[in-house]
Amino acid sequence: MTHWYKFLLLYLWIAPHVLLAVVAVLLLIRRVHTDFPAFFLYAWYEIAECVLLFAIAVTGLNKGAWYVRIFLVTLAVSTALRFGVIQEIFDNVFRETGHLDALARISLRWTTGFLLVVVVLCAIFGSGQTSDNLIAGLAWLGRGAAIIQCGLVVFLFAFSGLFGLSLQSYVFGIALGFGILSSVELANWALRTGELSESMSRALNLLPTGGYHVAVLLWLGYLVAPARKILRPSDVPVGEVDQWNRQLERFLQ
Amino acid sequence: MSGASVYVAIAVALAALFVYLAARRRREPLAIDKARALMGSLDIEAFQNLVDPDEEAFLRLSLPAAQFRTIKRERAWAALAYVRTLSHIALEFSHFGHAARHSPDPRLAELGRQIVSGAVSLRLRALEASGRLFIAATFPDLPQRCPHSLFEQYARSNGLLLRYGTLDRARTRS
Repeated sequence: MTHWYKFLLLYLWIAPHVLLAVVAVLLLIRRVHTDFPAFFLYAWYEIAECVLLFAIAVTGLNKGAWYVRIFLVTLAVSTALRFGVIQEIFDNVFRETGHLDALARISLRWTTGFLLVVVVLCAIFGSGQTSDNLIAGLAWLGRGAAIIQCGLVVFLFAFSGLFGLSLQSYVFGIALGFGILSSVELANWALRTGELSESMSRALNLLPTGGYHVAVLLWLGYLVAPARKILRPSDVPVGEVDQWNRQLERFLQ
Repeated sequence: MSGASVYVAIAVALAALFVYLAARRRREPLAIDKARALMGSLDIEAFQNLVDPDEEAFLRLSLPAAQFRTIKRERAWAALAYVRTLSHIALEFSHFGHAARHSPDPRLAELGRQIVSGAVSLRLRALEASGRLFIAATFPDLPQRCPHSLFEQYARSNGLLLRYGTLDRARTRS
């Protein structure tokens, strides 16, 4: 294993979680954690998971079967939390929109159901040359989860855009981060369903952590960056309001 | 192309889509000029005439069946153009309402919330009316219902904007 590869692997393992800790603290300081408790929990969970797995790796206990079990359990919880965060974004975006709130919930359920059917059909009809090992089996599940998450994020953007709902900067950032993360994971798990050479497998190890790094940078960037420039009511000159009123009065006559 | 390549291609396309959405969001201005221009271009009376069931009944009685179908189709397509404009206006109302929600004045912020809710309802009704008009254009013999709720919602949304204008003007003067 070359020196730069080791360094990059280590960097991509640790750096995103350090930045995620900054995101978690910012969520707390800006009181965003009350609106996004699942995302807040997800951030701390990911940090704890990283610390645990890193400690195991450093102590050299990462060869046994129980390490694999811990890895699988933490991955499953992480995936479940991501679904929770996507649901939470939906709740926040469509809250206070009257009838649309109920419609959004129903549409989300139907979209999830539809994506689930797509995943099952892909698994049934898309079987090609596959490996029998644990990672390949896990890849089938991971790929399915990534397809559903990608689909839900696309649906969120499409549905909110359809009704002109402007997502607040950090909400957009969270959704965008999960979108990028899910698409990278889709590519990663899709490649892992087949047999991989040693060099390919090593190169692929960098993909999910790299994608995760990009996602964390997006979450941090949208939290730190100033809110999107929007027209504030006080920016509307009186003359413009008068013109609006004339138009409206003409209609109401 | 292997199965994995297809998934990788989909993943790359999705990532590109997300990047495009982020870039578009940065460029997209939130202005009220568009809504005002659209409102000015909308002849609501002409639109109401196009979807008036009484007018349709009169045309059905006065014209031969084939000619009625042609006229009905043309009227439905014209009405669809109006609904599309209304739909765009609803989007602009929604953007404006979102901006108003950030007002330091709680009354204006509350009005902003109501404008967003009204704009969403208007958009929903416009989408529903589009569907109905499309059916009317495809099957002209079917009786057509006037989209009363669309006009009512438009009037309600306009009323909210009028209230906003009055309140904002009073606030600016004080």
